[in-house]
Amino acid sequence: MNLPPAPPPLPPEASPVRPAPRAALRRPAPRQPDHHRQMRARLGFATFGFAMLFGAVAVTLADRTVINPASSAIAQPRPLPRAEPPVTRAEIVDRNNEVLAVTVRGRALYARPAHIQDPEAVAALLHPILPHLDRERLVARLSPPYVFAYIDRFITPRQEEAINALGIVGLNFETAERRTYPRGRDAAHVLGLVDVDNQGLFGAERWFDERLRVDRNALRLSLDIRVQRELRETLAHTIERFSGIGGVAMVMDVNTGEMLGMASLPDFSGADPAGSPPGNRFHRAVEGVYEPGSTMKLLTAAMALELGTVQMHSGFDASRPIRFGRHSISDFRGKNRWLALPEIIAYSSNIASAHMAMTVGTARHREFLSRFGIARHQRLSIELPESAAILLPGERDWRDIHTMTIGFGHGVSITPLHVINAAATLANGGLFRTPTILAQPDGAQREGTRVISERTSHQMRRLMRIAVTEGSARGANAPGYFVGGKTGTALKPNANGRGYSTDRRVSAFVGVFPMHAPRYAVYLMVDEPRPRADTGPFATAGVVAAPAAGRVIQRVAPILGLVPETERLAEIEQSLHVPLQPARPRAPATAPMAAPRQPAARPAPAIAPTLPEVAPIRRTGLPQGAIQTAEGRHAAP
Amino acid sequence: MSALLERRLLTRDRGVGVFQKLWQIPWLFVLLLCAVAGVGYVALYSAGGGNPDLYANRHGLRFGFCLVMVLCLALVDVRLFARLAWLGYAAALGLLVLVALHGQVGGGAQRWIAIGPLQLQPSELMKIMLVLMLAAYFHRASWERMGNPFFLLPPLLLVLVPVGLIFKQPNLGTSLIVLALGGVMFWAAGVRWWKFAGVLGLMAAAAPILYANLRDYQRARITTFLDPESDPLGAGYNIIQSKIALGSGGIWGKGFLQGTQGHLNFLPEKETDFIFTMIAEEFGLVGALVTLALLLGVVAFCLLVALRCKHQFGRLLALGLGANWFLYVFVNVAMVTGGIPVGGVPLPLISHGGSAMMTTMLGFGLLLSVWVHRDLEFGVARD
Repeated sequence: MNLPPAPPPLPPEASPVRPAPRAALRRPAPRQPDHHRQMRARLGFATFGFAMLFGAVAVTLADRTVINPASSAIAQPRPLPRAEPPVTRAEIVDRNNEVLAVTVRGRALYARPAHIQDPEAVAALLHPILPHLDRERLVARLSPPYVFAYIDRFITPRQEEAINALGIVGLNFETAERRTYPRGRDAAHVLGLVDVDNQGLFGAERWFDERLRVDRNALRLSLDIRVQRELRETLAHTIERFSGIGGVAMVMDVNTGEMLGMASLPDFSGADPAGSPPGNRFHRAVEGVYEPGSTMKLLTAAMALELGTVQMHSGFDASRPIRFGRHSISDFRGKNRWLALPEIIAYSSNIASAHMAMTVGTARHREFLSRFGIARHQRLSIELPESAAILLPGERDWRDIHTMTIGFGHGVSITPLHVINAAATLANGGLFRTPTILAQPDGAQREGTRVISERTSHQMRRLMRIAVTEGSARGANAPGYFVGGKTGTALKPNANGRGYSTDRRVSAFVGVFPMHAPRYAVYLMVDEPRPRADTGPFATAGVVAAPAAGRVIQRVAPILGLVPETERLAEIEQSLHVPLQPARPRAPATAPMAAPRQPAARPAPAIAPTLPEVAPIRRTGLPQGAIQTAEGRHAAP
Repeated sequence: MSALLERRLLTRDRGVGVFQKLWQIPWLFVLLLCAVAGVGYVALYSAGGGNPDLYANRHGLRFGFCLVMVLCLALVDVRLFARLAWLGYAAALGLLVLVALHGQVGGGAQRWIAIGPLQLQPSELMKIMLVLMLAAYFHRASWERMGNPFFLLPPLLLVLVPVGLIFKQPNLGTSLIVLALGGVMFWAAGVRWWKFAGVLGLMAAAAPILYANLRDYQRARITTFLDPESDPLGAGYNIIQSKIALGSGGIWGKGFLQGTQGHLNFLPEKETDFIFTMIAEEFGLVGALVTLALLLGVVAFCLLVALRCKHQFGRLLALGLGANWFLYVFVNVAMVTGGIPVGGVPLPLISHGGSAMMTTMLGFGLLLSVWVHRDLEFGVARD
């Protein structure tokens, strides 16, 4: 289709109002403009174009249908069940083979609306048998354009019989399976849930989804449902008592890493997942990250002991708050004097813990924490998909101030599982094992990584014990079980990420029992407890978590086959004893950083000897920022 | 006076009576339309899961009503349409403005307006009225006059105003189709090639600006078109399911009422936009090609009318209506086969839905009128 060389203009007499085109002026116009021929040529071109495009569509169509057909698993029609298939999802049992999750065979009712004459009438007949169904929705599902519609995915044999007796054409049954959780809410978070097609959604159901479908043998978890039940009950009672918003309680075998109980509240019922708000599925034990608070001081002490910068008799100046830039570190109900290491743990001194952490330095501090799985963005390995990454400063951002605050458990957020696992590692002789929810074969030894020496572990047992006998964790003591442990109270960060809340806190206790031959670690935490009139003005861990943990131990220990040691009481107590202010050994250990033990009356130097580089910079008003702690906030002026 | 004159003119011509006109109606073409609608009935019967009450019967009823309208229009003198074209155009434009002011929101866009029991999509009506209006405008334009840019300015506005209104609804697909339709009319009327090249060049340059003004879902359609597998459960769902349905049909199809993609509701919009997929799944490539051939036959007839018509108005109108039909079919089929991004374009006379059926049948009424009055003395090209 080419243009004619020049548009052939019409003769001027054709129209009196014709604008004079230049071309017309240049040369005489032919008589016939042949608009018609132009038109025909263009029509021919249109025909050609239409034909080409239609051809292209036809070719595409042939390509999609025959030459290169798209295939998909979705496109394959699902074969209808011919015979009763076996139950396709294995049971989950606890360590004593108590059933926790089981698949029940039943029938599903479905409709083929094309065969149903009168959906309204059918719905009227069905509704008395299946009263839980919405009437209008039922009519809709019985009517076209549905070709196939499930009416109820799981009905009982009695309902099936009743529906069958109605003799309605277009209603059919097929074999169905439903996952049920006979223990209700117990261990709901660990078990997780499946969806309507019995596919794991979260929890162990998700983690072991393939295993449960491939292997028909029951999956045996390390949980002991009796322990689990005690944990949940005590935790629920404690949360209610202190009007908390949630909590965690755990028991762990320190020598195998097996979780014997993992309770997180609020929870949900496996039988009626929709009955609880979706937020209840949040698994605080592994999914929640919290500042550990003073429980972290155990790791600080272990680090300093292990790396030799501190001895049992070493002391630090806790007589005045540390001021560091805008920050201020102070003690809650501080002794305002020099404190020896056992005192630091027992009285939970932030100041001394910060000094102690600084004796090690930032690089070694970071390395030591990573031995316990406490490293930036790291998840603690456990067979639960929810396991969360922890929050920690990056290597380049990690400065002295971070070592000081992390030394007493602030400026770091880890999961409760990290805390209990660290305590277990400190007490079990120094072998780090990843926690597991799978039952280990009896007598089998799980490989562990040595992260601290036996000697340090022994020292840590004594320190943990003295915190219970003499310190803030007194409430956790359970006579005859030689509980050792540490409390921790941390203020929660504000929702806007700026600073810390003044009244929202997390109160936790972590401990191990029996301390002379460690078997089990216990963790109990209450999220946002409120003070009670009968327990004093502050809902600190010593008031909230430690007594609850003591109750847990008293109830759980007999289940686990422990009996209170009463005959060798004095002997064991003696073996675990360490004085609050241990005497310096006759031949002094060469610990250059350690200051000599001094009586309480000794005037404190202006600058702590262990922290020569940290000088008071300036006095500020109310200290603010990342390191303000519960203890600090309530410190006496 | 003019009305009287008009009537005399219309009735006097060649003394053609109603019966002669009826004889002139191309009954083979009417049969073809019935065949296309018949395919639609069968497909909608299947889409309704074997229940004719759901879509198919209404479709048949609607077609019957429209067919009567087509036959009545065929008997009306084509010059009357040329004379009243502006009225039809103004009405369609008014409806577009009305729908922009307070139309009913359907699927996130203001596209529908309720006229009594009828749900009308004015953009569909505008397609026919634009073709009619432009045909009437260009009817007397000489080749020479077509070279005058000032002469082209008013029809350009006639195209761009409705395109803008439809684009704002927002309905990108239809606005582009209306634009293309206007382009075809300009081209058929004799606008110079280089002008088209210039406009296309400008549009290519403006494409990034247009893209920046698209709604998120429209952008999603384009990115999905480029890579449907990137979001198989979201934006790419429709097209992937459609491709699966086409692939599962094979040569001979799965059989009537046997298409699983459609009947198990994997295929979205199976009774409207994706009905062609359903046909291809149940009747295979053969059924799809037969359907396509029927649809192509309609275009072929439009071109035949344009060739045989002796007056420019008829030629332009027939070509424009053919292009309108072609664009429906081409865009819809290319869309469901994954050839172009998805946008709600139905397959007229086959898809369930009143607007497209009404307006395309209105167009066929005009077409038949052109055919019946193809040899009419109706002005010559003036400049």
